[in-house]
Amino acid sequence: MVGMAAGRRALPQASSRSPQTALGFQLSDQTGAAGLHFRHNNGAFGGKLLPETLGSGCAFLDYDADGWPDILLVNSMDWPAHARQRSTLKLYRNNRDGTFTDVTRAAGLDVEIYGMGVAAGDYNNDGYTDLLITCVGQNRLFRNTGRGNFVDVTSSSGLGKRHAFSTSAAWFDYDRDGLLDLFVCNYVKWSPEHDVFCSLDGKHKSYCTPEAYVGETCWLFRNRGDGTFEDTTASSGIFDSSSKSLGVAVLDYDQDGWPDLLVANDTQPNKLYRNQRNGTFKDVAVEAGIAFSAEGKARAGMGVDVGDFDNSGRLGVAITNFDNEMIGLYRAEPGGNFADLALESGVGFPSKTTLGFGCAFLDCNLDGWLDLVAVNGHIDDTVRSVRNVGYAQAPQLFLNNGKGSFQEVGEQAGGGFAQPKVGRGLAVGDFDRDGDQDVLMSTNRGPAYLFRNDQTSGNRSIRFRLVGTRSNRDAIGARVKIFGGGLMQSRMVRSGSSYLSQSELPVTFGLGKRDKVERAIIEWPSGRSEEYKELPAGRTYQVTESKDIRPEPHF
Amino acid sequence: MKHSSRRSPTTPLYIGLVITLLAVVGYSWYVTRRIASLRELQNNLIDRNRKDTLQLLRIQNELNSIAMSMRDMLDVDLVEGGQRYPLTAWQPQFERMRGDLADAFEREQRFSPARRTPDQQHYLESSLTQFWDAMERMFQLARAGREQEARGQIRLSLQARLAALTNAVARLLVENNESEERADIQVKEIYGRVERQAYIFLTATLISILLTSLYLIRSNRRLFYQLATLSRQRSELAQTLISTQESTLRYISRELHDEFGQILTAMGAMLARARNLSPEGSSLRADLLEVRNIAQNTLDKIRSLSQALHPVMLDEAGLEQTIEWYLPMVERQTGVQISYEKSGTPFPVSGHSAVQIYRVLQEGLNNVARHAGTNRAWVRLRFLSDQLELQIEDRGAGLARERPRQGLGLVAMRERAELLGGTIEFDVPSGGGTRLRLRVPKQSLARETEESHAR
Repeated sequence: MVGMAAGRRALPQASSRSPQTALGFQLSDQTGAAGLHFRHNNGAFGGKLLPETLGSGCAFLDYDADGWPDILLVNSMDWPAHARQRSTLKLYRNNRDGTFTDVTRAAGLDVEIYGMGVAAGDYNNDGYTDLLITCVGQNRLFRNTGRGNFVDVTSSSGLGKRHAFSTSAAWFDYDRDGLLDLFVCNYVKWSPEHDVFCSLDGKHKSYCTPEAYVGETCWLFRNRGDGTFEDTTASSGIFDSSSKSLGVAVLDYDQDGWPDLLVANDTQPNKLYRNQRNGTFKDVAVEAGIAFSAEGKARAGMGVDVGDFDNSGRLGVAITNFDNEMIGLYRAEPGGNFADLALESGVGFPSKTTLGFGCAFLDCNLDGWLDLVAVNGHIDDTVRSVRNVGYAQAPQLFLNNGKGSFQEVGEQAGGGFAQPKVGRGLAVGDFDRDGDQDVLMSTNRGPAYLFRNDQTSGNRSIRFRLVGTRSNRDAIGARVKIFGGGLMQSRMVRSGSSYLSQSELPVTFGLGKRDKVERAIIEWPSGRSEEYKELPAGRTYQVTESKDIRPEPHF
Repeated sequence: MKHSSRRSPTTPLYIGLVITLLAVVGYSWYVTRRIASLRELQNNLIDRNRKDTLQLLRIQNELNSIAMSMRDMLDVDLVEGGQRYPLTAWQPQFERMRGDLADAFEREQRFSPARRTPDQQHYLESSLTQFWDAMERMFQLARAGREQEARGQIRLSLQARLAALTNAVARLLVENNESEERADIQVKEIYGRVERQAYIFLTATLISILLTSLYLIRSNRRLFYQLATLSRQRSELAQTLISTQESTLRYISRELHDEFGQILTAMGAMLARARNLSPEGSSLRADLLEVRNIAQNTLDKIRSLSQALHPVMLDEAGLEQTIEWYLPMVERQTGVQISYEKSGTPFPVSGHSAVQIYRVLQEGLNNVARHAGTNRAWVRLRFLSDQLELQIEDRGAGLARERPRQGLGLVAMRERAELLGGTIEFDVPSGGGTRLRLRVPKQSLARETEESHAR
């Protein structure tokens, strides 16, 4: 960009070139054009109840299995004693022409709940993605019938009779039996009657930070395969009543093929649950160097995502934190430890003043290096008058230069991306199937935003949609590695990640100007490994475990 | 006077300098030592104490988390539907907290202040061990399915032991706080001492500087006085010399003019008479004529010498006429063309004053002829209301080039000016060259003797 600016000074006519072209991509706000008329209702009536400030999430999912990502926007509702309007989550079907149709009612999802997050996964392996909506109160499990609608199976699945303040959730197969299990983050022990009075200015009530509340254990549910779940929180060693969890990511940090969990905790040490391959987990966050900040302090972790951003084959981690705390950007060292690169990579300083929530690794410009998007926004609108930070804050886009350093280019990305928002959820998915991932954001008590990503530099990509047979059908936990043109990249199929949100399951690789992948290796959760050679770029490949690889006519 | 003038002020000045430097070095050393001791205090006591306090706070935090977790274990009604998880579910959490606590205690011990007694340390360690032993017993009961007994164990034993541990840690925190306060006082004392020493040092240095300065001023004044005396004596001597020279020259000039002039005039007359008495056309007559001519020549030479030594004209015709007579002569002798200009209403100038002015004119024109390298000069005589001004100006090489060769001439001119109670100055006219300006007050010009100016 420095070169750009210099060029502009020297050659005025060059200014007609839009700055986005220098980035290699351009974002445009498609919210209205796509027909996403959504407004988040947090139920705020002035009582400043804690859950009001934290919702809600969003997701890219393919509920009708047509290959086109659909959109789900989670919503909360009015508090029972202050009911004024009806508000439900929204499901939008992709019309395959850049627009969406609201199918909430038809899908049977127009129920009023105080929703927070969403995890989409095909837990019964019927080929249709099911939904877990985390709530303040009772979480809901919606089974996809495959006929365009969902049925609430919360009670029959054994997830009922649990009231909590749940946040993010993730589907993953921790015992590798081919069935997706469920991990649910819980924040704090909270009820409207026990909401604590906190104040920023000493007079007016404001939203509390979690120090005011007692932590709550996360939950782990094992999928029995008969449509019911078994609570293995205690037996798996996940139980921890001190956690105040907001974000969860599935990863395989020790590369043993067994999925591990990374949980971002608010003002409590983050947890890295290592899968001990026997149905139990052990927290190794402190040893791995990811529990605390570099100063040894537990930060206010919000969102988390994992991605091989240095193309080392190991998953790095990004964790968004409170204002005055940088994003934690961790590189996975060969020994299984994490090193926080926030400052040296250039991500730390710009993220120091922001309060980050959702975050996601994606290759915006398809140059073969994962970039990082983070949405920001404060928890209290009175913060402006007390501290020098805004309530609405600009989302940030950190472009990876492939040499270990990131540059914040949100302002240049276009489409009003960097306009301040009270950002919460963030998901990525290729809704227009042009080969690059688009960005979906949700805000607190505001609209959702859909930003279409368009390449301007001619970079190419390749995408894989995995279908498990022996593995879970969504192939969550599968790892795809590609080789070609001197570059190795890897991705993992994952649910969870970000904050209260879920991105699409297919994986996208940016290839730069390369027109093929020389070699692609898929390591399925079942343990099977498959290798494919000479795959031309520019398409999505549907790979079915132990069966075939099928290029689709286009992305 | 003579004695003190011989004693050089250098030695006392050196002593003053050395004393001042020694004071600075001494004070620097003192301050450095104080800072070192402060740093030591800070490192050994305050920093260590602070780190220890941080670890103690961490321990307290951990103990608090443990207390909270134990309360959760007992709090069956918190989660809807009763206690969902068995007590054994808490075991990993407690193991984690145990690890954290052990780590905190280990770090704390590394920084524990020197004041802590072995008894205190022992109490802390054994309390911790007992607590975890009791915790283990509780989990044994829980694992054996005796949940109620385990809960009882928590209520009766674990909570009490934890409270004791918390108290012990709190006591240590208080102790740390007290020792920090003590250290604070110590630091303040050190600062106070340094401050006092700084004042003393400052005062001593100021006194030393003051004394040295006073001595310097005194010796300077003495030197100046001596210098002034010497200068005055030298000036007096020079003026006396000049006066003596002038009166001697005048005397010789007069003698030459009056005595030898009369003798030669008489000789000439007698020779003329003798020639008239000798026969016409005789060789004697021719010889007598020649002798008379010789005598006349000698008389002319004597007169001319007398004029050169001291123009009698000055006494008889005055300054103005002498200058008017003198300038054409200089023009003839040196070839320098001189423009003379006289202005103002003339007033009487005594012979004594006139000769000094005449000498300055002589020296000035002499300089023009010898050093200026020009054949034009301007002489101006101005009778102003209260003073007489004589200007000699040329457009020649200028003073800077003339000066080194005629130092003594300039000195003599100054002395003469001073003798008249006047001033002399040299400057550069706008066209370059040199301008001499002699100014003599009117009232001193009329005086006849030099005694009136002698100081």
